[in-house]
Amino acid sequence: MASRPNRIRPIRRPVMNRDTTEFEPCWEILRDALTDIHNKNASRLSFEHLYRASYKIVLRKKGHLLYERVKSFEEDWFRVHVLPNIADLISNNLVSIALLQMPGSSAHERRQTGERFLRGIRSTWEDHNMSMNMIADILMYLERIYTAESKQPSIFATTIGLFRDHILRNSLGSAAEQLDQPFTIFDIVNAVMLDLINMERDGDIIDRSLLRQISSMLEDLYETDDEIENTKLYLTVFEPRFLSASEAFYRKECEKLLREANASTWLRHTQRRLVEEQERCGTSLSILTSDKIASVVEKELISARLDDFLAMEGSGMKSMIDNDRYEDLSLLYHLVSRIDKSKNALKVILQGRVMDLGLEIEQTLKNTDFSAPPADAAAEADDAGEGGDKAKAQPLGAAAQQTAAAVKWVDDVLQLKDKFDIISTNCFDQDLVLQSAVTKSFADFINMFNRSSEFVSLFIDDNLKRGLKGKSDEEVEAVLNKAIVLLRYLADRDMFERYYQKHLARRLLHNKSEIHIEKELVRRMRAEMGNHFTAKFEGMFKDMELSKDLSENYRDHIRNLGDADVKKIDLGIHVLTTNNWPPEVMGRGALQEDGAKAECIFPPAIKRLQESFFKYYLKDRSGRVLTWVASAGTADIKCVFPKVPGKETGPLSKERRYELNVSTYGMIVLMLFNDLPEGKQSLSFEEIQAKTNIPTQDLIRTLGSLSIPPKSRVLAKDPPSKNIKTSDSFSFNAQFASKTIKIKAPVISSTSKVEGDEERKDTERRNDQTRAHVIDAAIVRIMKSVPPSPVNISP
Amino acid sequence: MALAEDTPSKYVTLVSGDGLEFVVLREATLVSPTIKGMLRGPFTEAKTGRCTFPEISGEVLEKIVEYFHYWYRNRDKEDVPDMEIPVEMCLELLQAADYFNLMPSRQEGREAA
Repeated sequence: MASRPNRIRPIRRPVMNRDTTEFEPCWEILRDALTDIHNKNASRLSFEHLYRASYKIVLRKKGHLLYERVKSFEEDWFRVHVLPNIADLISNNLVSIALLQMPGSSAHERRQTGERFLRGIRSTWEDHNMSMNMIADILMYLERIYTAESKQPSIFATTIGLFRDHILRNSLGSAAEQLDQPFTIFDIVNAVMLDLINMERDGDIIDRSLLRQISSMLEDLYETDDEIENTKLYLTVFEPRFLSASEAFYRKECEKLLREANASTWLRHTQRRLVEEQERCGTSLSILTSDKIASVVEKELISARLDDFLAMEGSGMKSMIDNDRYEDLSLLYHLVSRIDKSKNALKVILQGRVMDLGLEIEQTLKNTDFSAPPADAAAEADDAGEGGDKAKAQPLGAAAQQTAAAVKWVDDVLQLKDKFDIISTNCFDQDLVLQSAVTKSFADFINMFNRSSEFVSLFIDDNLKRGLKGKSDEEVEAVLNKAIVLLRYLADRDMFERYYQKHLARRLLHNKSEIHIEKELVRRMRAEMGNHFTAKFEGMFKDMELSKDLSENYRDHIRNLGDADVKKIDLGIHVLTTNNWPPEVMGRGALQEDGAKAECIFPPAIKRLQESFFKYYLKDRSGRVLTWVASAGTADIKCVFPKVPGKETGPLSKERRYELNVSTYGMIVLMLFNDLPEGKQSLSFEEIQAKTNIPTQDLIRTLGSLSIPPKSRVLAKDPPSKNIKTSDSFSFNAQFASKTIKIKAPVISSTSKVEGDEERKDTERRNDQTRAHVIDAAIVRIMKSVPPSPVNISP
Repeated sequence: MALAEDTPSKYVTLVSGDGLEFVVLREATLVSPTIKGMLRGPFTEAKTGRCTFPEISGEVLEKIVEYFHYWYRNRDKEDVPDMEIPVEMCLELLQAADYFNLMPSRQEGREAA
């Protein structure tokens, strides 16, 4: 560019009237314009003309003079034209209403007076603000060059500040005489605004936009002409007063709510207040205040008396939980979350409630249990007396009742769990802190109840045995999930393992449940508890599968042998590995009671079968020992009831063939009646026992199932009472008839039921033994891992 | 940034001291705070959409108008080519830029650079 030979032209002096470049003429132009602007006559002014006037003045280095002139012009204008109007607005009435809170003035009257005053302030402000903006525009060049260089506050800040100095900070003069201390117009503005806000809080309708405009006026004004951001009058004067007035208001309101309302009203009221205050910041005040006022409301309405409200009788948190008042709980959660991230207050009550409800379940259960022991006691007391029959029936009923109670306990616990899950989902946004607190409480009360392991297993047993047939996959899924949920809470998992093993054994041996569901459940347990926990269960499944193959192979084997046994017996066998199966099933329990192994005597046909199978079994597996556990098996017997002489009509008139499904013991007993010597019709209890060597308890059960329930009464008992006694005798019931071909004799031992006190002690004792072994093993393991300390052998 | 006020036209007329008239996109002129202030108040310029500058020659105003458009076209772009400034005009343009408040102290004017 510099290489270009062009000459730089000097600035041409514009042709202009000489005197327009002097200060005074220029100022005159501007002064007139200021007057016009204040009088709203600006439309006939040329901006360029005025701008150029101030431009010229500044170019001539007379900026300071213009600055001072404008300032004093504005001060004069204020004194002469504005202040008198403001003074008119301030009546004695207003002062007494706003500052003295004169009693007897109605809200309506206060509002009218207050709003009229604020409107006056607003219109003065609007005029002033508009004029100042226009003047600042005209004096743009002055602002840019002079005020910037001279480090003065801008002309705009200075002139706009006049409003603050001459109006807001103006003391009240004559009107203030009745007051003890000096008050300014600003005080009245504040008082009126706060009064209006409180009126709105009480339900009056006020002029919100008026408040909003006054607020924004206060936001536009600063403490000084330097206009430092955080010294806005709104922030320095109004907001603190607003907050402290709100604090007082809400403190009072909170006390009132505590006295007169319930927790539910309180929640809704608080929620409404919070929304209202946010809205107020948007519509009437400034969003700068949103957070601050929210924390005032939170502090006064929520934190201050939170515990009192939560503890309210009949509407507090306890009642909300008990009555599933989700909406209340949800509100409560959100309100409390605002003030306390850890939600301690909620946590404590929630946990307390879980514990209480959990213990209540246990209490209910105890009450159910109580009906059994007294009956037992009574039975023992007058066993010999006339109530003997009835008393004997009682324990059986009580056992069933107890089983029902166990299932009920689990059901109740699950229901409780569901209840709190729903609350957590619906009301607590699945808050993790609260969820884990609830989970902990559940685990606590479940483990405080010493039979929980047994009950959970019983519950699963009950569901798998009865419930799952005909249920959809989803329902099955739900049951499995519930089972796992409960399992998670249990602390005594080894106890559970023990019970589950026992119950699972019964289900498997009696084919009471669907194997794929059993396996699925165990698979989930493994996922939850690890391999070790389910090793025995899986061993049981494996035994079952191997046994199935074995039975089939044996069947093939027999068929190939072509053994023409007349009384062909189909053998289905379960070969069970001792360690995997519970001792009760394996007959080891009986061993301990009697001191000697009670080997029962099988009928010859069965005996032959056993030997044949054993031979077959040992062909591939030499050296193994098979023990026949008669107590765990079942048998299908085809039996023929001959025509009853003398009956020509009805079912008894012809020969009847039935298939009886009985326990192995039942089969052994029935076989005895096949081989009855001629002429002998009945066998006594002792005779049966002598011939079979079945343990007394088992025999009572077996005979009971064959001679008491009408549907399977293939034996007639003498006397025909409802209980089996060792003195009874039995005979073949020729009169027996049934509508169905297949009959199942109820096998009492296969019903899983709650253990009696003795049994439980026994289980616990055994569990403790196992634990002792585990602990011993652990000690040894640890000891081994520590290197032995060198032993110094001194010579 | 369409202004919601009753703007009758998208264009304004700028008149030089020697009577030359330039019709310029209103938005482009707003780069100058001076013109901005002129057009936002209740003054005659705002009413008529006509701004007269008695002390600025047509030659200089033409260049100023060119800058307005240059700015408007390139306001959101990076690495734009410099505007052609005849050396012999630069003093006058400097003065005019000062008058229009286009100086870098306030405005990112490229002319001064």
